[in-house]
Parts: sequence; structure tokens; C-alpha cells
Amino acid sequence: MERSNLEQDLNLTIQELASVYEELSLLYRLSEVLSGLSIEGICKRIIDEAINTIEVKTAAVLFLHDNGEELYTKSSRGNWDSNLRFKQDDGVLWNSIKTQKPYVSHNVSESKHGNSLSSLKSLLICPMIGKNKVLGAIVVGDKVSSENFYSNDIKLLGAIAFQAGLSIENAYLYRELEELLLGTIRSLVRALEATSKWSAGHTERVTKYAMDIGKEMGFDAETIEKLRMSSLLHDIGKIGTPKEILDKAGKLTKEEYKEISKHPIMGAEILRDLKQFTEIVEGIKYHHEHWDGSGLFGLKGEQIPLLARVLSVADAFDAMTSDRPYRPRKSKEDTIREMMEFSGIQFDPLIIEAFLRWVDTFNLLY
Amino acid sequence: MKRVVVIDDEPFILMMIEDKLKNAGIQVTTIRDSKQAMGAIKKERPDLVITDWMMPDLSGIELCRMLKSDPDVKDIPVFMLTAMGQNPEEQLGTQSGVEKYLTKPFSPNLLLKMVLDVIGKV
Repeated sequence: MERSNLEQDLNLTIQELASVYEELSLLYRLSEVLSGLSIEGICKRIIDEAINTIEVKTAAVLFLHDNGEELYTKSSRGNWDSNLRFKQDDGVLWNSIKTQKPYVSHNVSESKHGNSLSSLKSLLICPMIGKNKVLGAIVVGDKVSSENFYSNDIKLLGAIAFQAGLSIENAYLYRELEELLLGTIRSLVRALEATSKWSAGHTERVTKYAMDIGKEMGFDAETIEKLRMSSLLHDIGKIGTPKEILDKAGKLTKEEYKEISKHPIMGAEILRDLKQFTEIVEGIKYHHEHWDGSGLFGLKGEQIPLLARVLSVADAFDAMTSDRPYRPRKSKEDTIREMMEFSGIQFDPLIIEAFLRWVDTFNLLY
Repeated sequence: MKRVVVIDDEPFILMMIEDKLKNAGIQVTTIRDSKQAMGAIKKERPDLVITDWMMPDLSGIELCRMLKSDPDVKDIPVFMLTAMGQNPEEQLGTQSGVEKYLTKPFSPNLLLKMVLDVIGKV
């Protein structure tokens, strides 16, 4: 008699410990995995963890709409209609958002406005909270064991929701920062283009060309982004060039040529405080170097930073195919021919190869 | 009935895995002393072996190598439990013969799922 009691106690203890161990492994996974992911990635991961750890059939991540009055489904699995939207008077789910606390219902179909969720028998919902506001909620429904939700389940979902809230808010902030940065750079570029009508559109076109060539060369997303930044800013130095020189209708004198050749260095000077942008600034500083070393700084071949070499090709292509104050635009065919002639002399031959592959499919807009 | 042999010098891990798998209808043999594992596995011919990595006397890696070079038992799939920060693939390369790695603390639910996936096929 006593022995089987002991055995029972041992079994219960093992199960209790196993449940704690499960929780511990969850916390470790959450803390290390969520931080690096995109918002979509985070939501998928949350659903995986919720279903696996709480052992439920259905899970959904809901986001609060910007207007603060509606919840919509960001990601879901199981018995859930992802098109459903929940307004403030939909009692079942909004309780949790309003009180910012978890909420459990074991008789969903009978609760107020439970009809949209009537296919669920029981549900547990936990709000996801960012620094200052509710971002949304995580809902789980119908445990595999068909049992009710325990306080332990609420604790687990709470842990997932807490981490998720932090990670999602981080991801949003990061996105906002990126947009702010790009917006600022574009403003700088518009300032530049306002000074000379001949520059209008040049920067945006060169950026597109450079990124296309970069994709053709198989660059990874991070490098393409750096290429974008370099291209957007490559002529920023021209802001210091006298307007008369930029708009001159004839050939430049030696002094005028010297003046305009300063723009890569000036661009690098203007941007020198951007410590995170070293690679990008070098791309700008050396974008007029020549492959054979006959450029401004005398850098040769692979001494020239990769970004600069791509930029050089894109810049030249647009320069030749655009009207200039001193000559009309060249045709696409003539431009390609001339650029091929200078492969290995002014331009990196590998980049010219990629350029040729890309330009074949590209049609100038005239 | 499917059989699994679990080897770990930590009694709690053995009890926990045994409890989890037993409740799913799997027969479990637990071994604390890794030196005895080879003999037991050859005798029992289980459908799966789950072993810890860090163990006194005979490590999980050495045990795995022994299993994979014995024609009687080389086809039995092996799961390895590792501690955080250990990178077994560095030491073993991809030729280790280990089917799956789990880092401690691992999710017992996930382990059960992985076990069922593998022995379901066997």
C-alpha cells in the first residue's frame, strides 16, 4: 500500500518537474530566437510555440489596428477564420485588450458575441503589450486533451506574449528608423537636384541601375542596400560645385574640370560624421576611379571598393543616355558599345559583363 | 510495441523521458552507466536510441561511433542531447550518424513529436 503511494507521488513529481522543464526550455527558446526575426517570422514562431507548449489545436496572433478600434488576424493555425475582424463590442476577445490581462472562456459559443468563434469550445487570450501600448493579443483554443485551461497555461501564454510584445515593438521601431533614414537621404538628394535642372532624376535612375546590376551579380540583400545608399548620395558633393559649372553649355576649362572633379571627395567630406556608413562613403569617394588606375586617386583594380566600381558603371550609363547641357543623349546601342570598349580600362570587366546581361532586358524610357 | 533506449547520467532526465514516452505507449529502457549501453542495445535492438553527450567514462559521441561501426546495430537511429554552446557537428562533421540533436533544456513535447516521427517510420 505504502509503496504504491510512493510510486504515485514519484510519478506526480516527475510530471510536475517535466512541466517545469518544458517551461524552462520555452523561455530559453523565446529569449534567443525572437529578436532576429521579421514581424511575420515572429508571429509564425509564436504560433509554433503556443501550439507545442500549451498543446492546443488552434492558435492565432491578432494585431490591434492603428485606429485602436479593431483587431485583425496576423497569423493563425487550426480552427480559425483569419478573415475575421473583431470590433470593440465583440465582448469575448476585447475584454483582454481593455483590461490588459489574460482572459479565459470555456463556453465560447454561449458567451456574448461568441457566434463568430462558435467553432471553438474554449479559448485563452493574452494581450501583447509593447512599451506603452497594447499591440494586439495571442489567442489559443481547444486543448488537445480537451481539458480546461489551467493557471499554468495562462502563465505560459503570458510569457510568450510578453516576449512577443517586446520583439514586435523592436521590429516596428527598427522599421521606422530605416524609413526615417531613407527619408532624410532623399531630402538631401532633392536639395541637390533643386540646384541644377540637369541633375533632376539622375540620382534615382543611377540608384535603380546600380541596384539592378548588383542583383544581376548576385549580391546579398545587405550589399544591395549599401549600394542603394551609395547611389542615392553619390553626387551630394555637387552641392558645393558652382551652378555655372554644372549648367555650362560648352566644354569645361581645365580649372572648371578640376572644380567638378572635387565632388566625390566633397561628398565623402559632407558625410564624414556617419560612422556606420564607412563602406558607403568609400563607395562615393571612389566612384570616379578607373579600373586601370588612371582615376582621381590612382586606385587600381580591386583596390577600388566594390560599391564604387558598380556605381561607376551605373553613373556612366545614365550620364551617356541623358541630355547634358553640352551634348544631347546618346542612343542605348552607342552607349553600350562605348562602355564595352572601356571594359578593363575604366570599368571592372566582371561588372560590365553583368551590366551587359541586365541592359539587354532593360528599355530606356524613350 | 516500439522500444526506445535512453542513456543519460542524470536520473531526472531519464525519469522524465521515460514518463513522457511511456504515456505515449512506447516501451523505454533507461541506462545510467554508458559503459553498459552497447551491450544493452545489442541485446534489445530498440527502434531508437536517445543519448546524452557529456557522460563520464564513455561519451555519447564515442557510443554513437561504436554503434555505427557495428553491423548489428548501425541502422538504429540515434538522437543526441547536448548542452547549450556545444557544437557537435564541429567535432563530428556530418558523418556522425546522429539523426537529430536536441539542446538542453529541450522541450519534452517536442522530443515526443520527434520520436514519433522517427519510429513511426521504422
